[in-house]
Amino acid sequence: MLPEPIQNLIFALERLPGIGPKTASRLAFYLLRAPEEISGSLAEALTDLKTKIAFCQECFNITVAGRERCEICESGQRDGSVICVVEEPLDILSIERIGAYQGKYHVLQGVINPIEGIGPDDLKIRPLLERIRRGGVLEVILATDPTMEGDATAQYLHPRLKALGVHVTRLARGLPVGGDLEYADQNTLLRALSGRQEMG
Amino acid sequence: MYLTHLSLTNFRNIARLDLDIPRRVVLLTGANAQGKTSVLEAIYFLAAFASFQTSAERQLINTLAVSAAAEAERAKDGGRIAVARIVAQFRDNQDQRAHRLEVRLVLEPVGPVNGQRLRKEVLLDGVKRQVNDAVGHFNAVLFIPQMSQIIEGGPDERRRYLNLTLAQVFPGYAHALSAYTKAIEQRNALLKMLSERGGDADQLEPWDRLLAEHGSKLIHWRIQAIQELEREAARVHHRLTRGAEVLRLAYDPAYDPSPRPGRQMSLKMDAPVDRSGLKREEIEKGFLERLAQARPEEIARGVTTVGPHRDEMRFLANSVDLGDYGSRGQVRTALLSLKLAEVEWMKTRTGRTPVLLLDEVLAELDLQRRADLLAYVDGTEQALLTTTDLHLFTPEFVKDANVWEVEGGVVRTQKEE
Repeated sequence: MLPEPIQNLIFALERLPGIGPKTASRLAFYLLRAPEEISGSLAEALTDLKTKIAFCQECFNITVAGRERCEICESGQRDGSVICVVEEPLDILSIERIGAYQGKYHVLQGVINPIEGIGPDDLKIRPLLERIRRGGVLEVILATDPTMEGDATAQYLHPRLKALGVHVTRLARGLPVGGDLEYADQNTLLRALSGRQEMG
Repeated sequence: MYLTHLSLTNFRNIARLDLDIPRRVVLLTGANAQGKTSVLEAIYFLAAFASFQTSAERQLINTLAVSAAAEAERAKDGGRIAVARIVAQFRDNQDQRAHRLEVRLVLEPVGPVNGQRLRKEVLLDGVKRQVNDAVGHFNAVLFIPQMSQIIEGGPDERRRYLNLTLAQVFPGYAHALSAYTKAIEQRNALLKMLSERGGDADQLEPWDRLLAEHGSKLIHWRIQAIQELEREAARVHHRLTRGAEVLRLAYDPAYDPSPRPGRQMSLKMDAPVDRSGLKREEIEKGFLERLAQARPEEIARGVTTVGPHRDEMRFLANSVDLGDYGSRGQVRTALLSLKLAEVEWMKTRTGRTPVLLLDEVLAELDLQRRADLLAYVDGTEQALLTTTDLHLFTPEFVKDANVWEVEGGVVRTQKEE
């Protein structure tokens, strides 16, 4: 009953994560009424996203198209002997925000998840192993999420990295800073307890 | 521990219910299909966060509330969710404090086409908790005649019974169980992929580890629990049968961590295996090795064949398997022994007396066992019983109890005195 162009837009928006049919139609009608430059710049940004963005050939983080390697990989300031392995490019953003990590990264672009048919070959695991074989890496930090799939991916990587003679570490897990012991869930508390550390 | 207040909203056929609950014994009477059992079901839900009756938990929400929500949805009124609510206040005799436990069962729409999802929300003393963390704060033991399925039914009935009971007692059991179940699902998906399309079998390694880590916890707890339950149940059973029967609970784990001397399979029934000395770490190690051995077969079949998801437990009276050869009467008595043992076991393990919930159990028992059970109930901290027929009880028992009438989802409290 709606004209096709607007119906198409609603369907396209609905496919996005976190957007339901109601939000999709609200957005579509907003764009219909809004000045043309708003929809124009949105359309442009969407096209650029695919044409002007590429993946770094070294660490598979996102980077500007035309560049082979991302800023972090190219930087002479970063310590190439430490690689932090993460699931998604967004994870790099979080770690960069702390400003305390000086090493390099490797983005797996997902985690092992047999139910969804994702195996090691669907991730950037082989390039990681090749990267380490080229030498110069001393430590690999496994920073996959503390979910079952993230843990399984770390478990899968561990012996394979070890075999290449690098030091393998996993991000610590436990209580959030400023958290309250009383309200921590059992699982987190248990892990924090088993991963307790000697006081310095 | 005992309940002091219960309030239900849209739970089964009960639209709204508010009850102050006294200690000791409450007798719920009334004709069938009036809501007696629903009250017990709601209370048990606070202990297990699962229903004993239905695996389709959306049926717990009042059908009128569900259709009203659907109506509102059609009329585009907004309010398109149906909620059932169980709120209880109880006193914990261990920490000497009053607590408030609230469960909301929310049926909410997903996607544009009539999809619905049931969400459970749990609040303990006003703080939202994960179901796995909330279990074990309120304890109840439930006894309904259909529970003879624990003895007579398939192994999945016994595993379900073990899971619901052990989760109440061992903190961490519910977590380990859901992690184990999730790991099994992933591992089975991978095994299926490997069996259909081939591939690197070493991919199983991380899932084997997760399975062994969580599975070994389950096995370790089940060994302890079954042994302790057996000790109690045997004692009760001896008394109930006036010494005529010896009741045994035999744990028969799919992955058996105890070394079997000489592989004398025929001795399995008569010779009890003592696994109580095993450490969890040893079980984990052995389980991992067993998974490695089973790997070729599991890849061929595309499914995980060993582990606690295939465990079995058997009930033996004088060395005869009650599941196969028990008479109706024998099974009923064994079930009664098991349930009373459960109460004692929970008491010992948690330091708290569970609330006892008995649904129409008297009609199934002979006079002697009836008297035994009533004597037991009389001595417990709090018990709620349902019956269609007050004459099954002795006049003294009825006189001492609080007798409430349930009709059409409404409870009328008519206190004596």
